[in-house]
Amino acid sequence: MQIDIRNLSFAYGHRAIITGLSHTINSGDYLVVQGKNGTGKTTLVKCLLGLNSVKNGMIFFDGLDINSFKQWTRFGYVSQDLDSFNYEFPLTVEELLKFSIVSRKAPHNYLKLLDEMGILEILNQNINSLSGGQLQRVFIVRAMLNNPDVLILDEPTASIDAQNKQFFYETVNSLNNSGKTIILITHTESLENINYTHVMNLSLDMSVDIKARVLEGKFTL
Amino acid sequence: MITLSFLQDLFTQYFLLRAFVAGIIIGAVAPTIGTVVVVRRLSFIADTLGHFSLVGIAVSLYLSTLGISIFFETPIYLGLLFAVIGGILIELFRRAYKNYKEISMVIVISIGSTLSAIFFSLAKKTGSLYAYLFGSIITISNYHLVLIALTAILVLSMFLIFGKQILSVSFDEPTAKFLGINLNLFQILFMIILSVVVSVLLESAGVLLISSMMIIPVAAGMRVGWSFRSTLIISIVFSELSIFFGLWGSHAFDLPSGAAIVSVNVIILLTVAIIKKLIVRRRISKLDKLK
Repeated sequence: MQIDIRNLSFAYGHRAIITGLSHTINSGDYLVVQGKNGTGKTTLVKCLLGLNSVKNGMIFFDGLDINSFKQWTRFGYVSQDLDSFNYEFPLTVEELLKFSIVSRKAPHNYLKLLDEMGILEILNQNINSLSGGQLQRVFIVRAMLNNPDVLILDEPTASIDAQNKQFFYETVNSLNNSGKTIILITHTESLENINYTHVMNLSLDMSVDIKARVLEGKFTL
Repeated sequence: MITLSFLQDLFTQYFLLRAFVAGIIIGAVAPTIGTVVVVRRLSFIADTLGHFSLVGIAVSLYLSTLGISIFFETPIYLGLLFAVIGGILIELFRRAYKNYKEISMVIVISIGSTLSAIFFSLAKKTGSLYAYLFGSIITISNYHLVLIALTAILVLSMFLIFGKQILSVSFDEPTAKFLGINLNLFQILFMIILSVVVSVLLESAGVLLISSMMIIPVAAGMRVGWSFRSTLIISIVFSELSIFFGLWGSHAFDLPSGAAIVSVNVIILLTVAIIKKLIVRRRISKLDKLK
């Protein structure tokens, strides 16, 4: 899926967050969005996902305007705000994933996905007994259930220890290699383990710096 | 023997058997829908809808004083209509106060209480308020029993057909859209079904106790459940136990049935909480000894 952002501006009330951002994300790209807190990283994601309504500027998905776009299952989204989930009610990992398979197109391969993420053994564990890293990977598996074209990860490594971080990035890299477009939001992460194709740096003064790099086997620049 | 007398009367006195059958159905329906209510962190919602449903009943009684008596025998229909209106109002206010879900309920409960008081007073039927506030499962009619059974079928069908969607929306609203779920549709569908349950159970459970029957067994089930499924089953078992022993207590000691049932619910909750605490404490002390 090609995502075309054209002259996007967004403000909360009178406080401008993004001004005049334009960028095209091609199918199979790995975009890292960096910036300090308050630079608009999550705001940008929310605009892309239709969670913030875009009034200034335009976003197109494969040439279709965001306001006419309905195929949201083509996106997998792991939110930074994990608080919206109710962890207190007893729920196993398997139950969570089974409840989440509602689309008829879903491949129903959560066991395979859990195995790929290295967390198959927690299938019957209660959600509230998992570590931050395990939980994060469970949510990525859930986001992958509909076999989306684009996977958006907002601060995914915030609660993962160093050892698991490397494993996590290897997994995301292999998802990207399999053809998924990845949009990764981070404010602290070094790019050492990331096979990115583009880095978008957002600043508090609302300037945007986008750098691209050529990776072997990739055609993005 | 008080217990034997209850069991003998259960099979010889039709009204008691009818109340028991209704109780068994309510015992399954209330915690089933209550589970979703708890997951959505909206435990006060049944109370709120009950207050709004009461407006419909008060309006029915008032209309009968004006000579419009079609709703007098079955005030449940206007009760249902008002419960649905209350449910829609809650959703609207909830969107206006996104991070303060409880505000929407306080607003709707205030409107419901005020309008109920006005229409009961206009109808000069304030004396009948007690029956609606506390309910009585013992005095329900055959007609009401049929309505309760139909409501149970409705709730069961909802869970069989749309269970996944409703639970996904309830556990994690923001992500539902990316799973292919129409968030608005399932929020409104759930609200309508909850309104039906509340208005149908109003006569037997009462406005003030309906929430207790939905929420307390689930609160107890959560203490011992290890998964969603086990928690739901345990909640239903606790609920059925409270119906049986509540009806027995009501029959034996001449207590109001709703109050007796909820009292057993509370006893079960406290017992479960205390036992769980003792088990955890024992495990910790064993671990300390091992160290």
